[in-house]
Amino acid sequence: MSKPFFTVYCLVIYAFLLAPILVVVGASFNAGAFLTFPPQGLSFRWYGVFFNNEVFMRAIRTSLWIAAVTTVISGIIGTMAAIFYVQHSGKLKETVRIAMLAPLLLPEVLTAISLLFFVYSIGVGTQTMVGMIVGHVLITLPFVFINVSASMESYDPAWSMAAQSLGAGRFTRFRRIMLPLIKPGVIGGCLFAFIISFDIFTISFMLKNVGTSTLPIQLFDYLRTNFTPEAAAVSTCSIVLTLVVVVVSEKVLGLRIHRF
Amino acid sequence: MTEVSIEQLTKDYGQGPAVDGISVRIAEGEFISLLGPSGCGKTTTLKMIAGFEDATRGAIRFDGRDVVHVPVEKRDIGMVFQNYALFPHMTVERNLAFGLEMRKIPKTEIRDRIAKVLDMVQLTGYAERYPRQLSGGQQQRVALARALVIEPKILLLDEPLANLDAKLREEMRVFIRDLQRRVGITTVYVTHDQAEAMTMSDRVVVMFGGRIAQIGAPSDIYERPANLEVAEFVGQVNIVRGKVVNSIVSTPLGDVPVVGHYADGADITLALRPEAVELLPVTAGVAGVPAKVLSSYYSGSLVDYRLELANGTIVNVQTFPRTRFRDGETVLVHAPADRFWPLGSVA
Amino acid sequence: MSAVAGKRLGPLLLIAPAAILLTAFLVLPYLNIVLMSFRMPGQGTPYGPGLTLANYGKFFSDIFYIQQVVNTLWIGFVTTFACLVLGYPVAWQLARGTSSLRALGYGLVLSPLLVGIVIRSYGWTILLGNNGLINRTLMGWGLIDGPLPLMYNALGIIIALVHVFLPFMILPIMSAIQGIDPSLEAAARSLGASKLTAFRRITLPLSLPGIQAGCILVFVLSLSAYVTPSLIGGLRVKTMAVTVVDALIDTFQWPFGSAMALVLSVTGAIFVVLFGRLTVMKWKA
Repeated sequence: MSKPFFTVYCLVIYAFLLAPILVVVGASFNAGAFLTFPPQGLSFRWYGVFFNNEVFMRAIRTSLWIAAVTTVISGIIGTMAAIFYVQHSGKLKETVRIAMLAPLLLPEVLTAISLLFFVYSIGVGTQTMVGMIVGHVLITLPFVFINVSASMESYDPAWSMAAQSLGAGRFTRFRRIMLPLIKPGVIGGCLFAFIISFDIFTISFMLKNVGTSTLPIQLFDYLRTNFTPEAAAVSTCSIVLTLVVVVVSEKVLGLRIHRF
Repeated sequence: MTEVSIEQLTKDYGQGPAVDGISVRIAEGEFISLLGPSGCGKTTTLKMIAGFEDATRGAIRFDGRDVVHVPVEKRDIGMVFQNYALFPHMTVERNLAFGLEMRKIPKTEIRDRIAKVLDMVQLTGYAERYPRQLSGGQQQRVALARALVIEPKILLLDEPLANLDAKLREEMRVFIRDLQRRVGITTVYVTHDQAEAMTMSDRVVVMFGGRIAQIGAPSDIYERPANLEVAEFVGQVNIVRGKVVNSIVSTPLGDVPVVGHYADGADITLALRPEAVELLPVTAGVAGVPAKVLSSYYSGSLVDYRLELANGTIVNVQTFPRTRFRDGETVLVHAPADRFWPLGSVA
Repeated sequence: MSAVAGKRLGPLLLIAPAAILLTAFLVLPYLNIVLMSFRMPGQGTPYGPGLTLANYGKFFSDIFYIQQVVNTLWIGFVTTFACLVLGYPVAWQLARGTSSLRALGYGLVLSPLLVGIVIRSYGWTILLGNNGLINRTLMGWGLIDGPLPLMYNALGIIIALVHVFLPFMILPIMSAIQGIDPSLEAAARSLGASKLTAFRRITLPLSLPGIQAGCILVFVLSLSAYVTPSLIGGLRVKTMAVTVVDALIDTFQWPFGSAMALVLSVTGAIFVVLFGRLTVMKWKA
């Protein structure tokens, strides 16, 4: 393959990857009542409709709330597991890795089904948010784990030993030495957990509480029956929100997010 | 100043002891080295003294008080790690302050002590630097300062010079030794480099397979090694074997009188250091065993020769390069009888 | 507690929360699905008392369900293959390319992952619909007379799934290629191999672990995808995952839904294992 052809090929794939996202953003500025092409003029009309739609606004608040709770729980549990993981070796280490990545490798729909049955069989049901949050924690845990253990790889255990030899107890060693040094990984993992949680669909769909929907569920329900560009406006706001989080973390905090 | 006493110290990970019942008494202010090949248990011993490893059996006493159950952070030790382990997110000053903060020393005193210790390691003016902005030697000195500024009971060093280049390593040997003398702190130094152990220590503990092979001053270890293993580990050595007859051993390099309790007919192994042997040109009337030069290695201040005696015995000799002999030349070998050291009977 | 016991216990406390969470909410619930698939269908309740094999019987005696599993597997295969073919060159460029496009490309490959799956599938409905961007444009240019059937069929589902899962193919292959010492290819060239031969004989086989990981990931994800098939396929084309979820959510057939989910999972797992056997790498310890 010649070089220019190769470059063009890659550009086509990138365009393919971006196309549906750009189309959604473009459609949100459609002034018409339906998703028609070419658009009937540009306007922010559907953003106005969206911002005054209490159903969507409530869904956004629910999503943000769940994502926040999920991030805190996932961040703590995942960070602890990652610290354990890098301090061990051999078979135990490999077992921990596979177990921690399992929620990512198992089909989300199966995990959702299993959790649905489970919350009913233990008598909790979907009246509370417990099942939904547990599901979100399961799905986001691998991302915290991957990011924190990646930053732990460059953490020299001798730093902890040096601090201990200078008189620092367990908690001080963690707070003054380890945490500041693995902070990029912890923050990166938490941001990723937040974004993923905000976008989780299947788990939320199966475990949703009657009357409270997250944004992806609300959007999905809406799309089954409606074709107005309001959905595009909602989607665009969701994309922009994520983009802000990523740009802030990468440019302002100078973080590198590890996904694999 | 603290006296450290180690009694019957043992560490067993479950596959036989890594450290097997060693006992040493380290005097106040003494500089002692643990010397041995990798896997001999020297680092494990150091980690047990520091508290990073639990002793399976035995006692470690600081001034008579058993510290085996005292956690690392309460043991009041100063430790220098192989890769220095400077906290990368803290400046030199914050690194030095860390141990003092743990001890709840007032801020003004912290400042004074840091200034003093920086002066001591000749790094005044580097307080605001981060570790990555320092050279290897400078990092090494910060690590030393960080361990010393807390005025610990003992100073532990784990192969601290292993990551430095040859020239810097020699400078740091002298630097650490002088600093230790000035501070007068009891010091345990782990190394696999015999030259390092010899030049720096008051006494050297040679370890093999988790046991102590010999404890003694550097000159004892070198000139009077306890056994073959020690003799071969500490510098180069020629091994000569022979039978005792009337308290005299006949060797290819001449007869050696041995004092001590050797029965007639016993096989004995003798150690002879290469620099103890003299080489002379073949001249009439000069005593010596003739030998052929197989090869020679010139290293500036010294020349190493590999020689072969008439009976095929190989002898290594180290001399000053004042007289050079050519490969293939025949020379006379003279080994003074008092430079042979008996290593005990051959089993 | 003695100091020794404290040291042993400390690290275990680090892993305990994750271990409890995964056991209680992943392992046990998964085992529970197996149990559920043998339960009696309930009357007005999700399931009744007693155990039965009837759920599996119902599944295997109905050609409609068998056909659906075959369709789902077919969609999974095509999606996986398309992702591999489309993704490999991109992965190679991201790993080895010298152009300034590399950093940008990496961002572009990652960015779809940050956009929710509902939104991405929605984007495809806008593009693929009968009144969608593609059909409108083509008709506008006069290339076609009527709209092409791009949505509500397997083709539309596959196009959207390829888009959704392409990053999962590209990223593992990319890291596999990054892990290959470039001097190996140089060595092959020095021994007389052409650029293409060096790639085919050296780089390609050495990147197999990445290909394997990517294919398994994409295949499993495609089989279990729910959002994309249900938005693009609508009521006309249903994949197994959609049928399962509908059986559970809309008609509360928990035991039957579990049986269907397990049949799909086991079938998928068999293909994954077969694939693993076919691509065994002897040089890997």
